[in-house]
Amino acid sequence: MKECAKVKRMLSRYLDKELKDSESAMIDAHLTGCSVCKKELSELSLVKKLVSGIERKTLPQDYLVSRLREQIADEKKHAKGFPLVGIGSLARRLIPVPAFAIIAVTLFLVINSMRGVSENSLEDNMLNGNTVTAEMALGVILGAQN
Amino acid sequence: MNEDTLYIEQFLEGKEAGFEILVRKYQDRVLNIVYSLIGKDRESEDIAQEVFLKVYQGLKFFKKHSQFSTWLYRITVNTTYGFLRKRGRFVRDEGAIEGGAAAGEGPRGTLLIKERAAMLRAALEKVPVKFRAAMVLKDIEGLSYSEIAKILRCSIGTVESKIYRARQFLKAELVKEGGEAI
Repeated sequence: MKECAKVKRMLSRYLDKELKDSESAMIDAHLTGCSVCKKELSELSLVKKLVSGIERKTLPQDYLVSRLREQIADEKKHAKGFPLVGIGSLARRLIPVPAFAIIAVTLFLVINSMRGVSENSLEDNMLNGNTVTAEMALGVILGAQN
Repeated sequence: MNEDTLYIEQFLEGKEAGFEILVRKYQDRVLNIVYSLIGKDRESEDIAQEVFLKVYQGLKFFKKHSQFSTWLYRITVNTTYGFLRKRGRFVRDEGAIEGGAAAGEGPRGTLLIKERAAMLRAALEKVPVKFRAAMVLKDIEGLSYSEIAKILRCSIGTVESKIYRARQFLKAELVKEGGEAI
């Protein structure tokens, strides 16, 4: 019984001639004395035969080639109209990177310029005894991080 | 250098004819794999076209030491899986089954063959796709377990198990659907 379970698991490979010679010999020996596994093999063999013999579909020789020619021509035309299409998916994915870099640099410059103004304004205002706003204080804090 | 590599080289040198030879050579094989997985004529053709378009776009990245057919079949299976995922689930299409019950003409023998073919297609469609793909590559394409393992990116043991389960599944379905074919 235990051997049957092992043999059944190997029957597909046996049928497909994917076993080592020693394994095939073991299955052969088992099959001579086991009608249950023999029946299982014969059913699997019939299933394999049915699937192998399934009617194949065929296309006219140039059917796909002409469809592809049209599609490729269309895509090329489309790519000319929209240059981004032609630069490849990796490049398209990388486009946000410089965009983020530009935003980051702009923010840095704005903050940096604010820092100068705020620091001066804060110092001037403090010296002049004027009110120090939160914005001025923030400018100093941001500046202090650099 | 094998024949396919030669055509790929031609294509990479700018000769589209190299690509077109590959399409003509493999179009039926690709179509039959797709059709066995989705069971729809028109959509199978569209998917086959999509497969070759991916090949066209990806040939410059193809590693020449690999087997072109393995790479092509992997694209075929993945593109079909993608289609099935988009569709959400496998939908049976009675109209796509060849011959079908409508085959009411011709000699009785022909009708019986058509009925059996229809029954087989219907039963095949019920085998879960993840098992069916391995069986189709084995029994329809005649590939080895190691080639199938490369295409499905799994171990040979997994291929063995998938093929075994697909056959068991199909056997059970055929018995359920009338048992005449088995």
